[in-house]
Amino acid sequence: MIYLDHAAATPVSRKVFEAMEPYFLSDFFNPSAAYLPAKKVAADYEAAKATIAHAIGAKTSDLVITAGATEANNLAFTAINARGRVGDFSGTGVAPARRYGRSAPSFSVVTSGHPLKIPTRPRILYLVTEHDSVRRVAEQYGGEAIRVLPSGLIDLDDLKTKITDETELISISLANNELGTIQPLAEVAGIIREVKIDRMKRGIKTQLLLHSDASQALNLLDINVARLGVDLLTLNAAKIYGPKGVGALYVSHDTKLKPLTMGGGQEKGLRSGTENVPGVIGFAKATELAREHLNGNRKKYASWRKILLSELQGCEIINKKHTLDNFVVLCYNGIDAERLIFLLEEKGVYVATGAACAASKGRKSHVLKAIGLSDAQIAGSLRISLGETNTDEQIHEAAEIINSVVQSEYERIRHA
Amino acid sequence: MPKTVFVGMSGGVDSSTSALLLKEQGYRVVGVYMKNWSKDLPGMKCPWAEDLADAKRVAVKLGIDFEVWDFEDAYREKVVDYMLAEFKKGNTPNPDIMCNQEIKFKLFYEKAMEAGADFIATGHYARVKQSSLLRAADENKDQTYFLYRIPEEALAHTIFPIGEMVKPEVKKMAEKHGLHNAYKKESMGVCFVGEVGMRDFLKEYIDVQPGEIQEVETEKTLGYHEGAVFYTIGQRHGLYLNGEKGAINDGLPYYVVKKDLKNNVVYVSKNLNDKNLWTNELKLKDIFLRREMGASQPVFARLRHRAPLIPAKFDGKKLIFENEIKRPAPGQSAVIYDGEVCLGGGIIE
Repeated sequence: MIYLDHAAATPVSRKVFEAMEPYFLSDFFNPSAAYLPAKKVAADYEAAKATIAHAIGAKTSDLVITAGATEANNLAFTAINARGRVGDFSGTGVAPARRYGRSAPSFSVVTSGHPLKIPTRPRILYLVTEHDSVRRVAEQYGGEAIRVLPSGLIDLDDLKTKITDETELISISLANNELGTIQPLAEVAGIIREVKIDRMKRGIKTQLLLHSDASQALNLLDINVARLGVDLLTLNAAKIYGPKGVGALYVSHDTKLKPLTMGGGQEKGLRSGTENVPGVIGFAKATELAREHLNGNRKKYASWRKILLSELQGCEIINKKHTLDNFVVLCYNGIDAERLIFLLEEKGVYVATGAACAASKGRKSHVLKAIGLSDAQIAGSLRISLGETNTDEQIHEAAEIINSVVQSEYERIRHA
Repeated sequence: MPKTVFVGMSGGVDSSTSALLLKEQGYRVVGVYMKNWSKDLPGMKCPWAEDLADAKRVAVKLGIDFEVWDFEDAYREKVVDYMLAEFKKGNTPNPDIMCNQEIKFKLFYEKAMEAGADFIATGHYARVKQSSLLRAADENKDQTYFLYRIPEEALAHTIFPIGEMVKPEVKKMAEKHGLHNAYKKESMGVCFVGEVGMRDFLKEYIDVQPGEIQEVETEKTLGYHEGAVFYTIGQRHGLYLNGEKGAINDGLPYYVVKKDLKNNVVYVSKNLNDKNLWTNELKLKDIFLRREMGASQPVFARLRHRAPLIPAKFDGKKLIFENEIKRPAPGQSAVIYDGEVCLGGGIIE
């Protein structure tokens, strides 16, 4: 097997698995229990959280553990309704953006029997290429999409024009899950800082937060929340050789959120439910390993990427620059890439078209569309994401197999 | 130059093996997934994307062309709207029969012919001989009940590649050729929505009111129903009376014998001999005959898919049975056979 889809899922690494094991079998206690063995589990849990927090330059108390990145993204958006203000009608709930279409210029609030039109502008901006776990939530809140350039990078001019006095939250992933594009978050943070200063001068107290989904990046980029200038940051264990169903949301100390799950008040009341101790222990171990091997892996992936770019034939490279080292996104003109996937799977090579979620719903990738690819180009696009399961030999072999399969498809089409 | 066949591929083993056989017989084969329905219901993911992927994976394995044809609008209009309208009238329609008549053997057939097909093919268990529709070799799987209304012209250009095979052979053949879906579970429930019962589907589309369930003999209220349209005459299970399912006190089951849609009352009876449950003739409407037949000609009728064949005579308007039969639900089809030849049928009034 040659697995080239590490952006979709990674295996749990042996060391992570071994670190987790005792917490399933012997140290299974509920961290909230009163006896000493449970207290030890609670301490281990906190230590694991500290490991994760410190890896991104945050404090342990800034981290909320969630059941995966999707939940962390959902939780981040509660910042919108967490601060109730006098006269803030927009806090009445979710704006009916879907019903009125993308622009959602206004919605009515009933006060003393008279429908009153209150103009509202979007309070959320999000990058058009975001993962569905951001996009769908943002749409629910009536958010507005920011364009990307053909390179996949954020169109900063578009961002500047779309920020208004109502904007409260801007969500931009650190690295895109289909293209690997690394966004210039620090620049965005700079723009946000200017807007905030301007608002202060004019006495406008509306918050303006920056959220970033860094699910794809913890093992591929050096992440520091202060340097990035984010208020909210989503992390995901499942993409860094940790367990699935474990994620975290970094929440800067002055950002207020509202819980999505009520109960025993764990995670500072933001995420009730008995702590997933083995999951977080695994997440911490995976984070530790990711940081330890960060530079070595990046170099390795970059060299493999180079090999693929030079050996793969008959394709156009989609993610030319500003990309994670392990992403190779290709387009084979006139070929149905899904056919390639099925042909490659027969030879034990696993790759992806677009995001796995989008593919399983039979939808075309909104990301590839956003960077201006035609329908035919989108249909011919393959995503290769390299990772720790790969070896030098595999890369050459994969290139050879992909080339031969592509060749056979071109021949089949010619004869049809 | 080999003849071209467009084969409807649903992602299941029957249509996959059909494509395989055609390919082996030397046809130029084009696989087509007909996208008829893709809407999810609350708590229920429509399996269309997975089915499509299964179909495509097989097409790639066989090295044949593959296309997706979108019939969603037509399907909604011709099949789903028809079905909902019939249920609202209190009938029990059969959407599969309508789908074959309007979509597979009409739109798909026409589009395939325009695209240069010599034939179309599907994975139905049925046979065609000298333009006659014949029951399948696998009597257990025969699907002619669903096909009795398909247009003559389409039938003349249709191949049923697995019509001579029995299901276990089909599965074995698929497995032998490495088709991944050889043992894929057959879909249950409403065919186009996936693993969801008709009742759950209807609840989404028909505004129903709860009402009373009364004993037909005494007009005594025995319990309550969620909506009369959900009940079919002759139905036994699914009746919650006095908190017990399908039975009351003495343990004898109740049957639905009558529906009063206007007053939203469902009538039930413990009396299996209730006159509403039995009949010796069935009046048919929307009759579609593939062959002429005389009023005195002895024929066989099938009143449900896979139901036994019942000896009968057909006078052009109604089926007459020698013995009383349990009355089938109005809206269902009665299909008429002479030996293995499907002569046509009609919809039970």
